[in-house]
Amino acid sequence: MKIVIVGCGRVGSTLARRMAEEGHELSVVDERVASFARLGEDFPGQMVVGSGVDEEVLRRAGIEQAECFASVTNGDNRNIMAAQIAKEVFKVQRVITRIYDPIRAEVYRELGLETICPTTIGAALLEEFFTTGHNAASSGTVLPRALGASG
Amino acid sequence: MASNRPQRPYVLIIGGGKVGYYLAKHLIERGYEVTLCEKDKERAEWISHQLGTVSIMVGDGDEMAFLATTGIERAGVVVAATGDDEDNLVACQLAKRKFGVPRTIARVNNPVNVKVFRTLGIDVPVSATELLMGLIESELGHSELVRGVAVKASGASLVDVALPDMSSLAGKRVSDLQLPDGELVVCIVRGGKPVLPRPDEVVEQGDELIVYSQTLDVERVSEALSR
Repeated sequence: MKIVIVGCGRVGSTLARRMAEEGHELSVVDERVASFARLGEDFPGQMVVGSGVDEEVLRRAGIEQAECFASVTNGDNRNIMAAQIAKEVFKVQRVITRIYDPIRAEVYRELGLETICPTTIGAALLEEFFTTGHNAASSGTVLPRALGASG
Repeated sequence: MASNRPQRPYVLIIGGGKVGYYLAKHLIERGYEVTLCEKDKERAEWISHQLGTVSIMVGDGDEMAFLATTGIERAGVVVAATGDDEDNLVACQLAKRKFGVPRTIARVNNPVNVKVFRTLGIDVPVSATELLMGLIESELGHSELVRGVAVKASGASLVDVALPDMSSLAGKRVSDLQLPDGELVVCIVRGGKPVLPRPDEVVEQGDELIVYSQTLDVERVSEALSR
């Protein structure tokens, strides 16, 4: 599967490494060359330096052949715009974006964009720990139950 | 107090940089009701000294809660004029889809994004770079770059197409040009002079056609004529 990830921060690089280990074809886009260090030296995928909200850069990353797309830069609006370009311009099948602001995440979810809001998910996990004493994220992987609790 | 002038729409401008500031200043001078939103407090203070406090609000144009305090629902038009395309896109989308603003105008910094913005529902994406390119090319007398001008807010446009060398249209009469429905040659520019496109006028190499189109899809029109 061909996957394009915009943003090579902690989430982007971790996701890219995991998917590459599974044998998928990865392309990671980031404006800062230094960010690609997070991928490690033997990362088998493509690294593209440039803006994720620039069609030409995305084309260079092979978005036209991509089946999956995620935008996980540290800017909500940048993620929203990149995801919309992937979805509406390049018609990528599976597009998801991370939005920190819960309100904007809700708005764009209503508008048909697949979104993940770590703020709500994080708060829900903490709340669950306070009320039940159970930390659903303690093993390093979040259980579906906790995700469901985030609404 | 009654006024003979029809009431001018309320204009909300997001981003108090140079573009947003001068835009606000001139719209206010022309009698528009304007609110300028600027997220940087110091910058906002400076602007308020120039424009008066009524016209400026401190806040982020992509924060729903802030937008809700600006009277955005009664705005006739929202102009997003920040230096970041993604911020302008989101501000316009929220204005349009969450607050029902009828017209959105966005400053586009990367000219590639003009088309993207249109696809994503922005009514009028404006790229200064693209406009300047068009002007420069026409100053230099060879407009390889196609320019389109929207005709008011009608959804129609005027497209300026310079025929390529060896154009398949050269030698054809205007009446024989196969234009898509809703398109009309309104002027031929030949050697810098306008020529009336009568049906029997023959198109020549090096001509420039000004085409009226009932769409805003400038690129499609130019593509159809550039073969």
